[in-house]
Amino acid sequence: MTSLRSATARLFERLKDDSVETDAEFAVAPDSLESAAEVLTVAADAGMAVSFQGTGSHQSIGYRAPANVVMTTRRLDRIVDWQPEDLTVVVEAGVSVADLEATVAQRGQTTVLPEVPGGATVGGVVACGLSGYRRLRYGPTRDRVLEVSLATGYGAVVRGGGRVVKNVTGYDLPRLATGSLGTFGLIGNVCLKLWPVGSVAATVRGVGPEWRDAFRPLAVLETDGVVTVYVAGIREQVDAQVSDLGGEVTEGLRWPDPVGGPVRLSLRIPPSRIEAAIAHVAGWSDTSYRAQHGVGEIEIGTTAVLDRLVELRSWAETQRGALVIVEAPDELLAEFDPWGTPPPSLEIQRRLKAAFDPAGVCNRGRLPGGL
Amino acid sequence: MEAVAALEALLGEDRVHTHPLDRILFAKDSGVTSGPVTAIAFPETANETAACVRIARQAEMPVVARGAGTGLAGGAVPAEPSLLLVMTRMNDIVDVDVRGRTAWVGPGVINLDLSAAVGDHGLHFAPDPSSQQACTIGGNVGTNAGGPHCLADGTTVAHILAVEMVTADGEVIVVGGEAPDPIGLDLRSVVVGSEGTLGIVTSVLVKLTENPPGVRTILAGFDRIEDASRTVSDIIAAGLVPAALEMMDRAMVQAVENFVHAGYPTNAAAVLLAEVAGHPTGVEAETALIARIAEGHDASRVRVAVDAQERALLWKGRKSAFGAVAQAAPDYYLHDTVVPRTKLVEVLQGVYDIAERYDIALLNVFHAGDGNLHPLVAYDAAEPGTTDRVRAAAEEMVRISVDAGGSLSGEHGIGIEKRNLMSLVFSPADLDAQARLRDSFDPDGLLNPSKVLPEGSRCFDTGGSS
Repeated sequence: MTSLRSATARLFERLKDDSVETDAEFAVAPDSLESAAEVLTVAADAGMAVSFQGTGSHQSIGYRAPANVVMTTRRLDRIVDWQPEDLTVVVEAGVSVADLEATVAQRGQTTVLPEVPGGATVGGVVACGLSGYRRLRYGPTRDRVLEVSLATGYGAVVRGGGRVVKNVTGYDLPRLATGSLGTFGLIGNVCLKLWPVGSVAATVRGVGPEWRDAFRPLAVLETDGVVTVYVAGIREQVDAQVSDLGGEVTEGLRWPDPVGGPVRLSLRIPPSRIEAAIAHVAGWSDTSYRAQHGVGEIEIGTTAVLDRLVELRSWAETQRGALVIVEAPDELLAEFDPWGTPPPSLEIQRRLKAAFDPAGVCNRGRLPGGL
Repeated sequence: MEAVAALEALLGEDRVHTHPLDRILFAKDSGVTSGPVTAIAFPETANETAACVRIARQAEMPVVARGAGTGLAGGAVPAEPSLLLVMTRMNDIVDVDVRGRTAWVGPGVINLDLSAAVGDHGLHFAPDPSSQQACTIGGNVGTNAGGPHCLADGTTVAHILAVEMVTADGEVIVVGGEAPDPIGLDLRSVVVGSEGTLGIVTSVLVKLTENPPGVRTILAGFDRIEDASRTVSDIIAAGLVPAALEMMDRAMVQAVENFVHAGYPTNAAAVLLAEVAGHPTGVEAETALIARIAEGHDASRVRVAVDAQERALLWKGRKSAFGAVAQAAPDYYLHDTVVPRTKLVEVLQGVYDIAERYDIALLNVFHAGDGNLHPLVAYDAAEPGTTDRVRAAAEEMVRISVDAGGSLSGEHGIGIEKRNLMSLVFSPADLDAQARLRDSFDPDGLLNPSKVLPEGSRCFDTGGSS
């Protein structure tokens, strides 16, 4: 066990998180960004590695980060400031996506975060850069994050962006932090842009080629060969769209369950290549998929067959896409890289990592290139 | 000068300008600042751009990239003696993918030309700044440009999938990609809006947007600005985010109406211009809903454009606003701040009070849907003391926006104009983090130095940060 001076020991004891199961030496749940920054400063001085988690539902994305300390967002659990008329909400990282969505739904609004979030937290979804199916209409989660506050690897509390829906004041730290997997530090709170949900919504299942003519639907999902179109708006807009689409209509938005299986993948290809991508996967045994038309992402749940993955990644990369492991058994990860070929801008990414986390404390090595 | 000779050897003498007249011409953008230009070069390829950057690096001469010069915040105005790279010759629309709704385009392509070029495919480029007849895609990327239709569609960053750029080291790299969520850090999202300080954009993969099958444009006049503002709130509360929600005050409506004769009600205190897009049946219902809400807030006149021609005329009024002001005075100073939408009326009243106190002519046009204010001061710079008064008033207008929870700029950028106001919204630690970000791309400060961040942003050596 790492030996700690008494002031540090008291800090870790004060912030101790008993609820988390971990092999790490310490588990802490800071109650503020300042206390998170304090822990990170101590960790940097002591040469310790810190990993971050909300409920731990997406720790399987990317390389495994070593951790002397697991820092959770369990005590950062407040909805700080919701301004329904301005369509903004400031929320701490540990708030669950489901709870936040239920709150803003009371005034007919949505965060447009993933529709089937399980126990995922807002901070976790932002750090992982996970988007909902409705990104086809409203853009990815990255476009929703108006402001971010971080406890950085060098022990500072910094804020970027602002609490207004349109802003070009300074560099876009909120978008850069989205999907950064904690590599700059702990995302402590964010301001999200909300969207009013239409008064009426419909799910149209089993749509033929007509889906191509739908004007800006919320989502077009192809699930194991069946196309489902999701629309929302005022009654007349929805009715008109639905009658053009054909298919089996259900009132409301009925999202599919997440894909299952021991291996879960995210295949990302240019949207115009999605049929070709589906053709690759459709013949796989014990496999289920959700393809997002117009977006270019296919979630795949399958079994650990290495040859398939090697072949699919090789194809995806020739299409200027990627095949990312969302979850897989350790044996498979020993043979198959979770990310694939690192991006060409790796050198700048390395410098960014070094600038925000000079001692390499924060979620060390989770990103492509081992950043 | 050695660097100029090297540039001439690279590009030929006709693509390197050093004549004093050229250096004066390129010293300004469309705003109120100007700066020192050493030479102006016109690269035509990414490799030429990279070679120019390497020559400048060798000579330790800053490099400032520039499009059409329609910027208003001094983003393309050199703050130090610089090499200006004018990117307008790189104006090819290279590769349109109609099915994927994307295109690779040069940074010099004019915004409206891109939409015209893909119009036959039923597509357009969504960001539509008022300068769209002249401004370039590279400039749009640099400032993360907006426009009326960004309310529903998002600003430029939402429409840029990838950027090919020359780094400060003089290398050509691509950030972002055609597929969603490229792995690793999303550098694309910070390059967009970085005002040429992180790299020089040499090609852009844009996302194209389908033209809506049905569009309706609605114009409503109000006797009180408060009523127009409440109409905006109630439209959004009804679950509707129109394609655009624009507002003009009486002074602006009168200037515009004199200029384009669009039939705007010149006696109204505020005019609201709303546009809905979607299924033709649906837009009729949405139009009726907006009209009902407006009438519920005592709109004195509600007019719906009957055809594309009338719609174009209503928009021409809005988009000519800044040109129209030339009737009032030879110079104008256009502001750009954002406030929470619910604070619009309050901040606007503050803006009127400031104008009155400084005795300046004020006209207002703004993106009401997202709280983006554009107070416009018309003045004559030749009158002694006027420019100082206008600038002092400008700074006060920014301050009251910030005090209302707003930000310095919604779409024009920080440039030179607002860099010293950054500390109104950011702490020293926030600015230090931004400086770290910038230095990660350009450690020596070669690209558009002394922009965006105020001097003294770096607190690396104060002992608190490393």
